[in-house]
Amino acid sequence: MVFFMFLFEVCFVFWIISVASGPSPYYGVVGLVFGAVFGCLMLVGVGGSFISLVLFLIYLGGMLVVFAYSVALTGDPYPSAWRGYGDLFCMVGYVLFVVGAVMYCFDKWSLEGYGDVVMDASGLFSVRMDYIGVSWFYSYGCVMFLIAGWGLLLTLFVVLDLVRGLAWGTIRSI
Amino acid sequence: MNPHANMIIMSSLILGPMITITSNHWIMAWVGLEINMLAIIPLIAKQHHPRAIEASIKYFLTQAAASSLLLFSIINNVWNTGQFDITQSTNTMSSTMMTAALTMKLGLAPFHYWLPETLQGTTTMMTLILTTWQKLAPLTLLMMINQSLNTSLLVTLSLLSMMIGGWGGLNQTQLRKIMAFSSIAHLGWMTMILTLSTKLTLLTFYTYITLTTTMLLTIKLLETNKMSTAMTSWTKSPMLNAMMMLNLMSLAGLPPLTGFMPKWLILQELTKNHMTIIATTSAILSLLSLFFYIRIAYYSTITLPPNMTNYSQQWRHKNQQKPYLPLMIITSSMLTPIMPTFMMIM
Repeated sequence: MVFFMFLFEVCFVFWIISVASGPSPYYGVVGLVFGAVFGCLMLVGVGGSFISLVLFLIYLGGMLVVFAYSVALTGDPYPSAWRGYGDLFCMVGYVLFVVGAVMYCFDKWSLEGYGDVVMDASGLFSVRMDYIGVSWFYSYGCVMFLIAGWGLLLTLFVVLDLVRGLAWGTIRSI
Repeated sequence: MNPHANMIIMSSLILGPMITITSNHWIMAWVGLEINMLAIIPLIAKQHHPRAIEASIKYFLTQAAASSLLLFSIINNVWNTGQFDITQSTNTMSSTMMTAALTMKLGLAPFHYWLPETLQGTTTMMTLILTTWQKLAPLTLLMMINQSLNTSLLVTLSLLSMMIGGWGGLNQTQLRKIMAFSSIAHLGWMTMILTLSTKLTLLTFYTYITLTTTMLLTIKLLETNKMSTAMTSWTKSPMLNAMMMLNLMSLAGLPPLTGFMPKWLILQELTKNHMTIIATTSAILSLLSLFFYIRIAYYSTITLPPNMTNYSQQWRHKNQQKPYLPLMIITSSMLTPIMPTFMMIM
């Protein structure tokens, strides 16, 4: 498992660097999707399998693919791949940054003791935190649920208000 | 804007910071910030011209990045410590990232580029909301986590934003951009004292809200938004321009006026904590802001010689009266003598 985790982490960093250093969103989306996949796998490794599944199905399956692909396709008619010293410099710079940050932060900031948190959930012994969180979201946290839902509904209103009207909406050619 | 949509958006704009301020759970605080950010965007882009859309996109991108950074640090803190309490954000990495995220939301120095651009793209009233009401929620969160914040990091950010706020405003001719840089400098004063005394942060914030509101309402009433029109604006309401000069000197923090009170107390608190060099530096850096306040005051109170243009007849036009403006001017210029009362009630 340790070797698999290491593989997932390396792949995650690799794809995220490809997003960060890529010159065009057309190929950046590919990196984003693979980065999200390996991020979900990393989450499984540290004990968040439920959250990982939710992220994989809803975020990656629903939103990211449709939204990011459509935006990248419309926003980038002539995509360009990695070439030249500029992109190479970016890529090497990001790799050095990640390695340096990990080497610096591991001692400086306490990065140990993450994940796999088990709690005593009011009588049910040792339930993992993501399960408790989701189940309590529907019982004790119902007001929170309503407010979060209001936030999502507000997003809909905001988007509709911004794009309303053909001649004076936001989506038009200037 | 459609009245129904306007009602939904305005009520959410009020609701968002309220949720953030009243919550002690990180997720609710974050939801409040998000509601607040989403609600302001159609209001910034209300006029639907390219500048306003650009301003709203700049605002959205910065605030969304700050929100995601905040959410990441919250989750990090939860995974490390196992609880969502705002006042118990003890993880070092989380509190550092929260500082970055919240200062990005406020518009403090290394993350300040969005503020002048956004304010310049919108109307004066939206500038007023962006510089006052929108600062409320992030500043409250910073004050709630002040026990786990890093003092040297915050002092560095504050000195930097005082510098940027002073130097950035020097070469500006647009009043809203100058107000944005003034906002950056004042936020520097607020975060300077944050880890030493939250009461003083709150006092500085209230004073700043009063002064900025008065200044922007004056700009709105005079219908001037740049230096060149400010020069001929004194004929509209000569008394108001004289009062605007007092208000600007109060923003700069000159002694008998209201704006002096927070700066005085902050310098005293810094000196008590043996940070005399930092106190001296911040006092000197406020001179940079004083320069552009003096310039606005000079341009707006200048009496031009008689000439053939008809600008001197502007007082004949009926301007939009604001009955609360005199009260605000009094508050923003004469509050220093009741400082002991402030210190007692806070």
